[in-house]
Amino acid sequence: MVIMCLEGGKMTNLLDLELIKIHELLKEGKIKPIDLVEECAQRIAASDLNAFINLDFEGARAQARALENKKVDNILFGIPIAIKDNIVTKGLATTCASKVLADYVSPFDAKVIEKLKEKNMIIVGKTNMDEFAMGGTGETSYFGPTKNPLNKAMSPGGSSSGSAAAVAGGLVPLALGSDTGGSIREPAAFCGLVGLNPTYGRVSRYGLIAFGSSLDQIGPLSRRVIENAHLFAAINGECQNDTTTASEKPFVVSDIENGKKYRIAVPNFCLTKVINADVVSVFLACLDKIKAAGHQVDFVELPYMKYAIPLYQVIALAEASSNLARFDGIKYGYQASQYDNYDDYVTKTRTIGFGTEVKRRIMVGTYLLSSENVDVYYKKALQVRRELSDEIRLAFQQYDLIVTPATVSTSLILGKDRNPNEIFLQDLLAIPFSMSGHPSLVMPVDKVDNNPIGLQIAGRYYDEKTIYAFALELEKNVRGDESV
Amino acid sequence: MYKPTIGMEIHVELKTAGKMFSPAPNEFSDKPNINVSFIDVALPGTLPKLNYQAVELALKAALAFNCKINQKMHFDRKSYFYLDLPKGYQITQYTTPIGYDGYVMIETDEGEKKIAIERIHIEEDTCKSIHEEEKTYLDYNRAGIPLIEIVTKPVIKNAQEAMAYLTKVREILRYLDVSDVKMEEGSMRCEANVSVSKTKKLGEKVEIKNVGSISYVGVAIDYEINRQIDILTSGGIVKPQTRRYVENKKATELLREKEAQNDYRYFPEPDLALIEISDDKIAKIQNIMPQLPDQLRQKYREVGINEPTIKALLSSKDLVLFFEEIYEEKTALVAAKYLISGVLKYLNKHNLCLSETRLGADDYKALINYKVAGELNDQQVQEVLIALLEGKGSLDENIAQIKDSNVDDEAEILEIIDEILAVNQEQVAAYKKGNDRMLKYFMGQIMQKTKGKVNPQKAQKLLLSRLS
Repeated sequence: MVIMCLEGGKMTNLLDLELIKIHELLKEGKIKPIDLVEECAQRIAASDLNAFINLDFEGARAQARALENKKVDNILFGIPIAIKDNIVTKGLATTCASKVLADYVSPFDAKVIEKLKEKNMIIVGKTNMDEFAMGGTGETSYFGPTKNPLNKAMSPGGSSSGSAAAVAGGLVPLALGSDTGGSIREPAAFCGLVGLNPTYGRVSRYGLIAFGSSLDQIGPLSRRVIENAHLFAAINGECQNDTTTASEKPFVVSDIENGKKYRIAVPNFCLTKVINADVVSVFLACLDKIKAAGHQVDFVELPYMKYAIPLYQVIALAEASSNLARFDGIKYGYQASQYDNYDDYVTKTRTIGFGTEVKRRIMVGTYLLSSENVDVYYKKALQVRRELSDEIRLAFQQYDLIVTPATVSTSLILGKDRNPNEIFLQDLLAIPFSMSGHPSLVMPVDKVDNNPIGLQIAGRYYDEKTIYAFALELEKNVRGDESV
Repeated sequence: MYKPTIGMEIHVELKTAGKMFSPAPNEFSDKPNINVSFIDVALPGTLPKLNYQAVELALKAALAFNCKINQKMHFDRKSYFYLDLPKGYQITQYTTPIGYDGYVMIETDEGEKKIAIERIHIEEDTCKSIHEEEKTYLDYNRAGIPLIEIVTKPVIKNAQEAMAYLTKVREILRYLDVSDVKMEEGSMRCEANVSVSKTKKLGEKVEIKNVGSISYVGVAIDYEINRQIDILTSGGIVKPQTRRYVENKKATELLREKEAQNDYRYFPEPDLALIEISDDKIAKIQNIMPQLPDQLRQKYREVGINEPTIKALLSSKDLVLFFEEIYEEKTALVAAKYLISGVLKYLNKHNLCLSETRLGADDYKALINYKVAGELNDQQVQEVLIALLEGKGSLDENIAQIKDSNVDDEAEILEIIDEILAVNQEQVAAYKKGNDRMLKYFMGQIMQKTKGKVNPQKAQKLLLSRLS
């Protein structure tokens, strides 16, 4: 338990408190939003995590001061938040951790930013990430890698590296990340956080710089399950500017029902040799706790899960190659300074502007969509995606939830040369639900050698409430405390 | 003997309030970059938002061209890099065009011919690039304007057919009110794919782009056919090229060689949901579909309106809508005649369109009824018509004025008749020998003498009484 300190009549270490406690202090007038902002500023200034690309304390302080005259009307009121740098913010640079957008300032706010502002949350800065969200360790960032606050030699995971590191490192209480094939869930697992990839279509992508459009979702990162639910509730809902959002009734925290017993499926695939033995043993121990709590746990066969990585590589990279075509130096972003003609200009702009991993993925994606390959790879992949989705949907006819380990191992060491496939592999168990569009949440369940290990809980479409209900109960169980 | 084969692709801008995927206005403007939204310049984080009005207009066109409808359709991305393509891809329809397997009937020297339409699909326009010396300027007003592309099968045999086809397509689209179809403003643009061959196997095709008018399309196609035949007869080979028409040379010239088939890397647009067009929707559009020129042409022929009049009527949508408003079978012939000899002539002379005049449909209808009832003669109808077009007096006032100035007194008319008969003794004799045509001659004389201000029926009655 964190001890709150009084220094010269001022409360400190507010950021280590749970959201509900901070909210109570704000509501009781014992602290003001500016106190939270100042603590964020101090901690970020003292931090060597490289979690942020751009900060806006001038704006944050002004907003905090302005909030002093307003009523604390919701749990997110006056709470500082960090935003992954692929979500556009009006007036505050959005770089996607790329040279190509290093100086880009959006003239509009993403839909989720509008929603956070409606709740009077305070945006303190934009977090580091893998360039264009392409990577799993944060190391492809043009602005250098982010460190894992739990062990600075390790990666916090990626691509939402800075968002996860900032929350786990106590720099901010909450952050938004984005997930295409595990980019929220993997860093949540490696940093011991709760991270949700919502149902595809739950959260507006308007203002999220696209990577794989049919997979991308914005989601919350937090230390506690209930905090995650509060942030998710704030950002979800249909959006007129994103026609892929669903007209479904938006999630609210009061939808969560306690005390239910669930039917839970565990794919046999989770126990195969691809998954690290430590991870498997933590996972099995966790399943015992779940069973002991009175839930039904069955092992099931989901044969298409094993195709997750190649499936992801085809679908996501094909879409990425198209989504990144707009960065040609004509309208915004990095511009090559010496060139012979239009073709040369675009080639140089993109060659210099994009990093190695991004270029590799664009090239692969372009190759996959070429007329001679599109049937062999892309169309085939769409077919496999349908099969996989059907298989998962079918499982959800019998089961309320599917649980798996979050990642295939614990966090990766920074600065090591590795085969890119090793990084893709971490998302083996996250990708199937991205492909089918089902919601899934990662939460910490144990540690091995001080490295956190996460559990992934997937649910039916738009049924985040059941995931949260189950996760809240499990959180109590694994933490052994009664506080929520 | 080389035979040409031609396929046409027509791009038509749809007349919507907003753009295809953004709320920016779809308006023609001389000022660059004023009708532009964040979506049109492909700012990072923007997403396309479908304009359903464009889908409805495209559906209307697809139905008018007798197409089958893809009731479950989606959009695709067509990728290539070019200055004028903000996203690096164009959102279009590749695998599920809204309409397919349609046709249009055209008239040729050998009679009616069916031109098979392969597909009609919806897509967004690119921005406009203006090249000046070293510099290129980009105008995003055009970026994202909704288009339909109408593609024929390679079934057109010569320039005349191509022109007849374009004229027909333009006429139909104008009637549907889905587009301005102004070639000079670029709201209708066409490309012709021309090849020649001695055998059934088609020759290498050459694409002629963006020709500025329908008649130029004819000239360009003729030129291109001859150019290709000349190459082949002198032992050369026709290269796959894109050429453009140069007006002052009346010739096509090379724009670019077509290298290996461009790879557009089509795939379904993931940012837009699937679109379903229900049976109800189709029925609803069919219900509000205006009568198309072919239907009207048929109807007018049946009441005996002559071909030049029909052609003149159908050439102006305003005029034909006006005609339809007052249409009655028994007066149609007369009403049509004065629309052309009176109204259209006046409009052309003063360079006006019908809505710029004061002529009302009810007045016109009443005027035609006076004529049909024999109460006005030709000249009088024309006079009243001009007055009405210019807004000089009401119909009643004009009619009253004419009646006032009419030679109506029987004694006065008889006096005139007597004068005429006195100086035309030979004709009187001929009439009495049975030459009825003389009657017409006398009537003509009477009309001339009274400057047409006599009721012709009354005059004829009195004339007959004198001749008997």
